[in-house]
Amino acid sequence: MASRTAGTILVLVVLASLVAVPASAQSFRVQCPTSTITHPDPNNTGVNNAEPPYVGPTILAPNSSQYLVPTGNVNGAIRCQQISGGDGYATMADGTQTFMFSFGPLSGLADIAAGQPGSEFPNVFNVVASPAPVPGDPATTDGATDSGTYSAGTLVFTYNGAIGLAKDADLLADPTADPACISTTVPHPTYCTTGLDGHVDPRQIMDVGVMNGNIPAPLMAFDEDDEFFLTLSNVGMIMRPDLFEQHTVHFHGYPNASAFYDGVPDASVAINIGGSFTYYYLAPDAGTYFWHCHVTPPEHLQMGMVGQLFVRPRQNRVPSGNDLYAALQLQQTDLRTACSSNADILCSNPLPAKNTGATGGFTSGSATKKYAYNDGDGSTYYDVEYPLQIHGFDPNFHFVGMTFNPEAFADMKDKYFLLNGRSYPDTVSPGPMATQSSDGRMHFSQPLPSIINIPAGKKALLRISDLDVAEYQTLASLGIPMHVIGYNAKLLRDQAGNNMDYYTNSITLAGGESLEVILDASDTGKYPSGSVFYLYTPQLDHLSNDAENFGGLMTEVHIN
Amino acid sequence: MRAMKMKKTALKMSLLLAPMAAMLLAVTTHAATPGITAPIFFLTAQTAFLNQPDGTGVYAWGYGCSNGFVPATLPAHMKNANCPSMQVPGPTLIVTEGQIVTVTLTNNLPTSAGNTSILFPGFQVCVGNVSLAGVCTAITNNGVAGLLTQEAAPGAAVTYSFIASSAGTRAYYSGTQGDLQVEMGLYGAIIVLPANVPGICTSNVVTSFYEQPTAAPGGAVEHDFRLAKSAYDHAKTCYDREYLFQFSEMDVNIHRQALAQVTATNGCTSGMPGCSLEVPTEPYHPSYFLINGRSMPDDMDANYGAEYPHQPYNGNPHMHPGEQVLLRVIGQGRWQHPFHEHGNHVRILGRDGNLILSQSDPNSLAGSVLFTTTTTPGLAFDGIFYWTGRGLNWDAYGHHGPLPAPSASNPNGVTATVTVNDELPCVPDANGYYTKASGAPYTAINYYEWCQDHNKPLQAAPFGDVANGGPATLPDPNIFTNGAWYGGSPYLGPDANIRATGPNSGLQPSNVQANPPNERGFAFMWHSHNEREITTNNVFPGGMLMMMLVDSREFVIDESN
Repeated sequence: MASRTAGTILVLVVLASLVAVPASAQSFRVQCPTSTITHPDPNNTGVNNAEPPYVGPTILAPNSSQYLVPTGNVNGAIRCQQISGGDGYATMADGTQTFMFSFGPLSGLADIAAGQPGSEFPNVFNVVASPAPVPGDPATTDGATDSGTYSAGTLVFTYNGAIGLAKDADLLADPTADPACISTTVPHPTYCTTGLDGHVDPRQIMDVGVMNGNIPAPLMAFDEDDEFFLTLSNVGMIMRPDLFEQHTVHFHGYPNASAFYDGVPDASVAINIGGSFTYYYLAPDAGTYFWHCHVTPPEHLQMGMVGQLFVRPRQNRVPSGNDLYAALQLQQTDLRTACSSNADILCSNPLPAKNTGATGGFTSGSATKKYAYNDGDGSTYYDVEYPLQIHGFDPNFHFVGMTFNPEAFADMKDKYFLLNGRSYPDTVSPGPMATQSSDGRMHFSQPLPSIINIPAGKKALLRISDLDVAEYQTLASLGIPMHVIGYNAKLLRDQAGNNMDYYTNSITLAGGESLEVILDASDTGKYPSGSVFYLYTPQLDHLSNDAENFGGLMTEVHIN
Repeated sequence: MRAMKMKKTALKMSLLLAPMAAMLLAVTTHAATPGITAPIFFLTAQTAFLNQPDGTGVYAWGYGCSNGFVPATLPAHMKNANCPSMQVPGPTLIVTEGQIVTVTLTNNLPTSAGNTSILFPGFQVCVGNVSLAGVCTAITNNGVAGLLTQEAAPGAAVTYSFIASSAGTRAYYSGTQGDLQVEMGLYGAIIVLPANVPGICTSNVVTSFYEQPTAAPGGAVEHDFRLAKSAYDHAKTCYDREYLFQFSEMDVNIHRQALAQVTATNGCTSGMPGCSLEVPTEPYHPSYFLINGRSMPDDMDANYGAEYPHQPYNGNPHMHPGEQVLLRVIGQGRWQHPFHEHGNHVRILGRDGNLILSQSDPNSLAGSVLFTTTTTPGLAFDGIFYWTGRGLNWDAYGHHGPLPAPSASNPNGVTATVTVNDELPCVPDANGYYTKASGAPYTAINYYEWCQDHNKPLQAAPFGDVANGGPATLPDPNIFTNGAWYGGSPYLGPDANIRATGPNSGLQPSNVQANPPNERGFAFMWHSHNEREITTNNVFPGGMLMMMLVDSREFVIDESN
């Protein structure tokens, strides 16, 4: 039996150096294995760097260690992301620079600056930056100037790997320290020769992470069946050296969560300044979730430690021409992906009451037909998607938070009402917004516009989440009706398979809620190219930017 | 108010351990859904002071049991149950569907507070005596006319009756000057148990087993604290455990004003000029945010705790993996609160006693499945929550198959000292869990384990005496701060934690006792996601916050204390 640990599982190890040796004394680290139990790639073929098509449930069989390992139809891939926990500044729509406690990107920097998720495949994440990033990046390299916005097409910073990733000189000097690198029975992981075992150069993490907070926090997105390795590196809050703030990541809505990776500091561990912690998740059911720090939530959330996260459905990977209903039936044959109303009271996407004959569109590794859920009937189809996070800033609280004073919670009153960290008219500025921080450098403080561009005749999926900590907020559509298809990361469907979707012209969310809305512009007569519609709040006092009485929670929908 | 008030000096409590250290003093307590049962109730409205964790005693009004009325209490195994003369929330009235419920309310509020009353939304209320046929017979001199219902004048009484027409959870509250009287605490819950519990809820349940030896030390038995075995007369509403949470908030200035005016008008004659209160209830600035009348951490103390003579109900849910847990949640007060249940979603069964069913199939539910359940003033919901660990992708119990010992060529082997529990079987039932249906004994500590992940390691490197070879690597534990409810490892239950925190893991469990060595559950925060409401008078943590613990079967959940 001794051979089995030396078998497949140890080669999965990315960082085997924890044990009994002081290698663990290094605090900042990243993790992004290329091969795991669930996604084996013992021969380093790179199979986990792309999503395979979904042709059936993963076939499992027990191994010699008596647990189930995949033997066929391996679904999903591996995604990795690194974020910083620290502080920064954002620019409000009235020009005010606002201090934040905040997360910033430490991987996928170019993607995030372009409004895309920073959740990368291993072959993107595990790449050493060359040239090394400089403080303020990517804004510095992109030549950001004060109060400007930058169109994604002009951004020159292209690196998406893990900031700080560096060769582990100790490992390269003595690979025998890692059992996976001396096995005589299985191929060695590539890091045995590249030295890229998660070791980082902390200087780069501090260079890029300090004062680099984003609102909203870095976007995360991955696919069902993916394994997600999320590393939080706490770089400290330079503006508040009196605070020894820990940070965590709470993956809000993760079903059947473990307390360990739930990010509640009271119920798990919180990450001290100078440390990295890698959260590990098997992707949950598709839907719009979100994430935030859970340390002193009324403070850290109000101060800006809120971000977006969504999971794409297996159905996106159903090959072109394959029946979606049949694909959902296939999902029932793996108990992990099954959803049966009789067996599970929380099942929300049983087989639809009607088989519409809709088909999948996965071709050459990419989804040509996209769905919000495994609906089995195509009812959640969309063409373009926009994450949209509602939040609010109380400028008094932020000022007090910057000036070493104790904050009061009971009288918290938001004065900036934010969609993706911006108020109107900044919401419709394309590209990332930059803010000069107290380090004298420009930073991409608000990378995500909230302008909704819909190609004429197409459908847009709005993934709306709310992390306001003080009050409920309403968002209304002036023009295209809102077609609500999902709520709290669950398809709106009853236990008998009837869709419970509905049309409305406004939605109301509290902090801690999310839903999915489709704006259907397929009628080009009603919604011709060039027309403009509005998303705005009918809570009229929220259409303001502090003292400015025009702005606030509002953005535009453009039919292109 | 316990130890928490000593912590008031630190306004900025960013160091979690400081306030959480208060929990050191906590004895592990649990919740249940306590209340009084009788179809004929005699209630009084009176004054008392409510304890808050910052040491404040808040002047309040509440319902209680009239002098001489000693009703039966439920659940049967609850200890120290009683019905004081005033409590907030008011006594939970537990009745059975189809019963005639009669409530006689005596107004013992200060004379200047004026009349008071009770509304029972969702029921056809008769001011008098109703018959099972629905005929309402008036009673002479039964209160005085009010705006919304008949009211009890100071010192007088009024009798209401109604048929408990359908099962479910509902609110009751004052129908007189509600902006003041509900704020002062005149609200409560009424639970109607179904008349016909479906047979499947007693015959085919594999998640609950009470009153017999368990996996706990000594084979201790666990008592059944349910009020019934289903929430409605419907086979999809079976449950194994239940908790009632009532959300409200208090603006302490209103209470101070009321006390000042009541004191100033002491001894006045009802109806005479000046014998009334003029308490402004706007602008409204609540700073206390309550679950069952208590703020965190008081809500985690025992039901009927002696330190809370007028706040008998707690908020301290525990459950075992797989149990279907009924949440009865009511919005009292005047604000909405987004109640976020960490750990899983909640299936809404019904609202205000109205079961929500599919339009096409009466055997199917159609309520929403939510991870944040907004509480709305006057609105109740019943919902089902569970936790199983399905899909975590590692064995939450830290089981393992045969392990290699360390050797020269394999220094990372495991120094396993095999215990009875670390190589337990997991035979999947039709849904993938290890249950009675697949031969699990009731004494299995991994009862209801998700078998697809059985024996599957989490940790890449050796980790105590649980298996290595998994996907994730824990860094140096010295860069962590441990929480008060942290079990000590990514694993569930005392046995797994002892093995996981072994000599080569580097991990240490939390040293505080909020999740003690014989428990080591997975703790999940259940709280208002309007996060400023998880504060007490501007101090975090506090307010609408509690910790739900998922406990392995090694731990006896005793909801009685």
